[in-house]
Amino acid sequence: MRPSAISHQPSAISHQPSVSHRSFLGAGRLQHRGVRFSTQETVDFVIVGSGAAGGIIAKELSTAGLKVVVLEQGPWLKQEDFRHDEVDVIFRNGLSNDPAKTHVTFRKTEQEEAKEGAGQFIYHRLVGGGSVCFTANYWRLHEVDFIERSKLGTVAGSGLVDWPIRYQDLEPYYTRAEWELGVSGQAGASPFDPPRSRPYPLPPMPVKSSGVLFERAAKKLGLHPFPAPMAIISQPYRGRTPCQHCGYCLGFGCEYGAKSSTLFTTIPTAVATGKCEIRSESYARKIEVNDRGRVTGVVYFDRDKVEQFQPARAVVVCCNGSETPRLLLMSQSNLFPNGLANSSGVVGKYLMFNGYSANSGVFEGQLNEYKSIMTTRILHDFYESDPKRGFYGGGGIDARFMAYPVLWALGGLPKDGPQWGLEYKHMLRDYYTHVMNVDGHTTSLPVETNSISLDPTVKDAWGLPAMRVTYRDHPDDIATMKFFQARCREILEAAGAKKMWSEPVKEQNFAAHLLGTCRMGDDPKSSVIDRYHRAHDVRNLFIADGSSMVTGGRGQPTATIQALAFRAGESIAGFARRNEM
Amino acid sequence: MYSDRRAFLALSGSALAAIWLAADPEEVRAALRHAQSAASRSPNAWQYLTPEQAADVEAIASQIIPTDDTPGAKEAGVVYFADQSLATWAAAQREPFTSGLNDLNQQVARRSPGTTRFAALPAGQQTALLHEVEKTPFFQMMRAMTFQGFFGNPEYGGNRDKAGWRLIGFDDRYAWQPPFGDYDAEVVTGGRQ
Repeated sequence: MRPSAISHQPSAISHQPSVSHRSFLGAGRLQHRGVRFSTQETVDFVIVGSGAAGGIIAKELSTAGLKVVVLEQGPWLKQEDFRHDEVDVIFRNGLSNDPAKTHVTFRKTEQEEAKEGAGQFIYHRLVGGGSVCFTANYWRLHEVDFIERSKLGTVAGSGLVDWPIRYQDLEPYYTRAEWELGVSGQAGASPFDPPRSRPYPLPPMPVKSSGVLFERAAKKLGLHPFPAPMAIISQPYRGRTPCQHCGYCLGFGCEYGAKSSTLFTTIPTAVATGKCEIRSESYARKIEVNDRGRVTGVVYFDRDKVEQFQPARAVVVCCNGSETPRLLLMSQSNLFPNGLANSSGVVGKYLMFNGYSANSGVFEGQLNEYKSIMTTRILHDFYESDPKRGFYGGGGIDARFMAYPVLWALGGLPKDGPQWGLEYKHMLRDYYTHVMNVDGHTTSLPVETNSISLDPTVKDAWGLPAMRVTYRDHPDDIATMKFFQARCREILEAAGAKKMWSEPVKEQNFAAHLLGTCRMGDDPKSSVIDRYHRAHDVRNLFIADGSSMVTGGRGQPTATIQALAFRAGESIAGFARRNEM
Repeated sequence: MYSDRRAFLALSGSALAAIWLAADPEEVRAALRHAQSAASRSPNAWQYLTPEQAADVEAIASQIIPTDDTPGAKEAGVVYFADQSLATWAAAQREPFTSGLNDLNQQVARRSPGTTRFAALPAGQQTALLHEVEKTPFFQMMRAMTFQGFFGNPEYGGNRDKAGWRLIGFDDRYAWQPPFGDYDAEVVTGGRQ
């Protein structure tokens, strides 16, 4: 889901907004809904993070009768708080992490000193998290994703391993996610799709002009385009209004509630049990342990930056592949001097971004890609790694909307021509409603030195160590991006683009997917959690989110994060019921 | 039902386009004439900028998005966006803005002795100077500010009369039904129609 244009904007206004002026959003943020628990009461679970995974596990545990407090950094917004304001959402970090408060440093290798502003890493800070703001692409992993190490052998310079579970283990939970949340798509439309136990609950979204052009071109090339599965409801579903095609999915919250975020699906169900408190604007800083090595609860800052402690029988960490390892590393203690659940030393390591290649084409007719959802047609013909290519890697290709007006004007046009002035103005005028993208979404190998760690000097606005990102794409990831760039350009050409340009493939310093940093595995020496999402080192600590992923898939991780969350929630409820914590 | 809606949308779409295309540039200019030039405003008109800074910002923004037969940064009020932003949410940019603009004006003085402000340079010299500095962080900041002011929501002070959106054909209706463009209008596939 990398919003392509965001990565190319100059570091002007966007990177350093003032901390003293709040976003326009969040008018209703102080209104609480549902039960409240006292910090004197030991609840069954604290869940840290209310996003794609936490919002599901909250529902699974509370509907099982367990008492749950969900700590969420960001505000609890309502449907009507979501507005079409590009300046606020994209440039003032209205819904996402604000680098002026939650500082992030970046470096390519461990030998370098990490610097602020050297990279941009987006995750969302509000109830519902990234599930509110993602593009809503909803791709299942394929069977091969779980077993690439056995199938392909080792890949030099990487820590590629098999998952401890298989596609068959996860399939029922993909199905639950699609039905409980509401996903639109066409089962069986792709010959490369893995087996599924049920069709999608909703028919595909209406095709856009980009989808029509893409489908024609891909078929001409002998490829197999199909309707994109999207977590956006194409028809009324479980009391929710269907998509009105406003065009503001990527990065924005849905004012119609049609995007199937946890905010509009599982979280209301959890709150309705009377067993689950969503405690918004609560920023976790440490998970406490007792002298027996069990977690006892979570220390957090409330909205007034006052420290609080919520005791619990067990803790579930669902803070995204960025903040989850950071919280564990900040939870050092005498028993866990290298960070909680980190006897393996693997916490924070094997970070994966997913590769990306962006290609634009201008067409004779009007496409008006700014209307409706981001993408309606995709293909998976190059999904699997093919040894004949000479490098590891695979991915998917989609036809997609390029960007909102400001983002597009800043970074959407060819870089080798003028970037301002009359000629530039005329390109803006002539291309906007005639342009589409064909983009590659590809693998990132798990590399041990790519990591999230604590910055030794930079602190955030709460005085906590800033997140430090160390990342350099594996050479095979770069080769894969270039391979996909060439395939995307063939499609644009076959579609009849009269002008075409591509973003040069280069090592990435931008990501909205932050995966693999607390990987799942059977061996406590080389992984952080077991196949049921329990930390190897701590019996009553569980982790489920993008950090659990052993491999990064092909660029659309949310369906897998949510399937894992449904499966983890069911397992954890069972452990609680059987007193196995 | 579907074809009715389609026809309606096709009609309303082309009608909107026609209004814009048919507008006489002179009428457009007349409509915008009441927007006085930035420099002639009283100091009280600005929340953060000095009148001299405002004139420079407007001159730079007008180089980035010039006015021709359609409105440019000047008519869209990009300078008001810059002023409002620096006064409020972009306050952290004040220092780089001020020092960057001072640097630029020092180059103006070196280049044209007797001239101290960018806005006072002849247009051709403005263009030439900006080409020289276009890789600097200051110019990149001004470029970003200009596009944000030209294409951002009008409530931020720029994009007046939706001039930016009209230029590129973006319609801020935020609710649509298919067909969305020419090519999906040609076929009916995949959707629920």
